[in-house]
Amino acid sequence: MLKDITLGQFFPGNSILHRLDPRIKLILAVVYIVMIFLAKGVTAYALVVLFTVFLVAVSKIPVRTILKSLKPLLIVLIITALINIFWNGGTTPLFTIWKITVYKEGVIRAAAMALRIILLMAGTSVLLTYTTSPIALTDAIERLLSPLRAIKVPVHEFAMMMTIALRFIPTLIEETEKIMNAQKARGADFESGNLIKKAKSLIPVLIPLFISSFRRAEELATAMECRCYRGGKGRTRMTVLHLKAHDFLFTLFVCFTVAGIVLLNIYLPVYTI
Amino acid sequence: MNAAELRGVSYIYSENTPFRKVAVNDIDITFEEKIITGIIGHTGSGKSTVSQLLNGLLKPTSGTVSVEGKDIWEEPKKIRQVRFTVGLVFQYPEYQLFEETVYKDIAFGPKNMGLDESEIDRRVRTAAELVGLTPDFFEKSPFDLSGGQKRRVAIAGVMAMRPRILILDEPAAGLDPRGRDEILSRIVEYQKKTDSTVLMISHSMEDMAAYCDKILVMNEAKPFLYGTPAEIFGQAEVLERVGLSVPQVTKLMRELRRRGYDVRTDIYTVEQAKAEVERLVGGDAAC
Repeated sequence: MLKDITLGQFFPGNSILHRLDPRIKLILAVVYIVMIFLAKGVTAYALVVLFTVFLVAVSKIPVRTILKSLKPLLIVLIITALINIFWNGGTTPLFTIWKITVYKEGVIRAAAMALRIILLMAGTSVLLTYTTSPIALTDAIERLLSPLRAIKVPVHEFAMMMTIALRFIPTLIEETEKIMNAQKARGADFESGNLIKKAKSLIPVLIPLFISSFRRAEELATAMECRCYRGGKGRTRMTVLHLKAHDFLFTLFVCFTVAGIVLLNIYLPVYTI
Repeated sequence: MNAAELRGVSYIYSENTPFRKVAVNDIDITFEEKIITGIIGHTGSGKSTVSQLLNGLLKPTSGTVSVEGKDIWEEPKKIRQVRFTVGLVFQYPEYQLFEETVYKDIAFGPKNMGLDESEIDRRVRTAAELVGLTPDFFEKSPFDLSGGQKRRVAIAGVMAMRPRILILDEPAAGLDPRGRDEILSRIVEYQKKTDSTVLMISHSMEDMAAYCDKILVMNEAKPFLYGTPAEIFGQAEVLERVGLSVPQVTKLMRELRRRGYDVRTDIYTVEQAKAEVERLVGGDAAC
């Protein structure tokens, strides 16, 4: 049950997206989001869809996996679509349900919004979370934020904390499961009863979990100190990120797509929203 | 009657995902009652899965698990009852202690059974005695105890439920030699006093040889060998083929045999070896 929570969704592979510099990916993910919001007409949207499909195809991540990750979004999608259908005025009424008139514009807008959310989710997860290991991602964040060091922001320390947090999520999940099983074996009941009783029944899980977290933190701190860790100052890296030809090519490709969207918005606007 | 049976049981972790893993594959195992059965095998051979299947923490993907002749999944709503019949002590059980006092922690299981105060008190005291904890520990915080003492509190917590089958996953792991002997002999004593069935998972061939009546060897998600320690450790070649070993003293006897001494090789405890060597040396043992 707890195992179904996927936080680090990294899907190991060797596609071009996997090999791309994580810094570039992080920047391009932001560009991609801007791209989605730039698109106005059907034609521009089609280009964004095409680009997203291209990303998915290139990443070699099973389409089923991506669709599965969209599942939790279903409720959000339905609500967004309904709000947009009923709350948007327009000029071409389609039909009326009990004083509320549904307009053609509203339906188009609802479809566009739903599509926007799907693209947002699918595109960024393919570009970032699925193809970048959490460690590479924090590394990229650290590098991109390193100018902030000039104004005394402890960038390295934040990145290290993030890395450690990410690293320990699976460990903690495993630990929680183990403790829950052990207490279940002693007859603990986590399922029945009202909310207060259920919350209370978690005490035998939370206390050992807290204790073991503190123990782990202490052990980790000692281990780091034993290896002379003393923060980011003067620290060199095992893998130094270098931009390669394919990073530039991919960036150029994204730039062209953005330009294409802008041009389509201006010259071929169909059903704009 | 047998204590527990697994018939055609398979268990698959994370089915229908890329992480699918067969933990046990179509196994038939019978556990005899009122003895100590040891389960050995490599990490990932399915030992721990078997223990969790027996007390209903895992539901088999296929096959039936029966305890005392009754299919435990017949009434899924009553699965908690099975957990009181089949007590399971996990590996490093001291990490599950949570109460303010030792007494309260041991009482957690019996309390969940819905027993009355006087019965809980009786059970806590008996269980504490069985693991060798004196009443002056009762009001201490379990977190102030030493590792070995914590372990005993945790094991007492399961014994206090008076399960008819007690399963212990590596009960002596991480303890010093004295702690090991203490815990393991307490378990043997518990089995004799309560006349219950005990299953013990371990990596240590020495412990298995010294404390178990029967041994089950698991290999690659299947039961591989079953028999008395003498039967199992008499087949050193077979064990070595699957990457397991025999107790050191058995190795010694085999080496003596190889060098031409006429000794038995189905020996697995130091006492037996001593007797055998004395027999061999005969009257000249006056050194």
